[in-house]
Amino acid sequence: MRGVLSRLTGNRRLGIAENKGRYDLPLNQSAGTHFLVLLVALMTFLAMMAITATMVLGGVTKHWSSGLENKLTIEIPALKPDGKLREAGDIKALSEGVTKALEASPNIKNLEVLGQTEIHQLVSPWLGDDVVLDDIPLPGLISLHVHIRDDEKLAQIEKAVKEVAPDIRVDTHESWLDDILRLARTMKLSSLVVTLIITLTTVTAIAGAIRSRMAEHKADIELLHLMGASDLYITRQLRRHAVVLTLKGSVFGAGAAILILFALSLMSGGAETGLLPGLSFSAAQIIFLAVLPLFAGIIASYTARFTVLRVLGQMP
Amino acid sequence: MIKFEHVGLRYGIGPEVLSDINFTLEPGSFHFLTGPSGAGKTSIMSLMYLGRKPTRGLVTMFGRNINDMDRAQLCALRQKIGVVFQEFRLLSHLSVFDNVALPMRISGHRESEVKSNVDELLEWVGLGDYKNALPLTLSGGQQQRVAIARSVIARPKLLLADEPTGNLDENIGFRLMHLFEQLNRMGTTIVIATHSQNIMDRFGHPRLVLEAGHLHVHDNSNWVQKNIEGVY
Repeated sequence: MRGVLSRLTGNRRLGIAENKGRYDLPLNQSAGTHFLVLLVALMTFLAMMAITATMVLGGVTKHWSSGLENKLTIEIPALKPDGKLREAGDIKALSEGVTKALEASPNIKNLEVLGQTEIHQLVSPWLGDDVVLDDIPLPGLISLHVHIRDDEKLAQIEKAVKEVAPDIRVDTHESWLDDILRLARTMKLSSLVVTLIITLTTVTAIAGAIRSRMAEHKADIELLHLMGASDLYITRQLRRHAVVLTLKGSVFGAGAAILILFALSLMSGGAETGLLPGLSFSAAQIIFLAVLPLFAGIIASYTARFTVLRVLGQMP
Repeated sequence: MIKFEHVGLRYGIGPEVLSDINFTLEPGSFHFLTGPSGAGKTSIMSLMYLGRKPTRGLVTMFGRNINDMDRAQLCALRQKIGVVFQEFRLLSHLSVFDNVALPMRISGHRESEVKSNVDELLEWVGLGDYKNALPLTLSGGQQQRVAIARSVIARPKLLLADEPTGNLDENIGFRLMHLFEQLNRMGTTIVIATHSQNIMDRFGHPRLVLEAGHLHVHDNSNWVQKNIEGVY
């Protein structure tokens, strides 16, 4: 690791006074170096967990919404508008009427009239398997899968259905799905806000550390300045220092986060349930998480540059 | 080379430590800056090495008003100035070699050039055997020689030295003065702040005398009378 860093930084070792390598400011001897590495490691760990949570919630949202995407349910109520029960034969006739009205439409991908068995499966979690459905008034249900689900197409379907019987309802599932999706999106947004706060905290910590280094080595920095060192010459040294420490910390933090996520994945069995998707990531998401330390390094680089140039700007 | 016109300097809201300073140093001149302790020698040096800006008046360096210069131009200008600080200001974590090499590296010289020049100069100031030593392991005199070597390594156009021979024995002090004279003959303008009457008498260059923040010219030598035109 040290060899690689040494090559990356042009064979300049921190604070070692010898002929070959040099680093004009003894930054590695500064107090708080280990603290900064630890802080960045913790922040990277938290950022990775928050980003993972965002990705998982994104998966949950997609999972829930894709399950009902372009799907509608047509309900023929068991009760007529006048309050009387509809006969099974009436429901069957209305189902056939609806089927006939819709199946010619090019927007209908699939249409399925649910029979007694399917309806029994739907209600059995609430009523039990032993219930005799003949004793209970049940609506007629038709599951529709459409190609396009926009307002215009929905209105066309609704119109066709109402022509068969005005009390037949088209359920777009929006009423309950919207609430759940709104909750998922809120949680996702919360995770993003947490990630943003972590990023800002890291930026503040790095800027504070750089300011502290500059205060500690003020006399040496002034000397370089008086010798004609450009602002960029001085900035480069502090920037390199910040990037090296941040990369170290973020690699440790990311490594720890990956271990924890792997353990969680093992604990969850990697299995997908009806309600939740499995804890798995796409290739793009894995690459994004893997390059997070690099992002941290870039953030450190720009934070250090901005901070140093601001402080140097106060010198004549 | 350097022109001060009605220059004043104060620190914060305190009184002026330099008042209405006027002088001109021609390129290639050699001056001593002298005066009692607290007269403002270090302050006037700091204005000359661009460590401060005057609170009033006009400072012209190398033909340009420093107030009209941007940061990059000031950096380039500072690279033409060598400074020996009274308290040396060596970087304690860097070796003698790296301390002396610093101005050349800052101005972007090749490492091979840096090495040959630094080795040669360290031999010349008698520190060839100490090039890997850290400054804190050296005596005061040795540290002062490192500071002097650092100030001249990049062949500055202007050399400012604040008490450069203060910690040296007389023999080495005179030897370093001869180095300064050699640099002066090569065209470097030199200003040396010193208390040493012995050095000033022996080398006989014009003197800028500071007393309580005001500058006067001490022209009691024939050398001064022949060369003083540029100095008010």
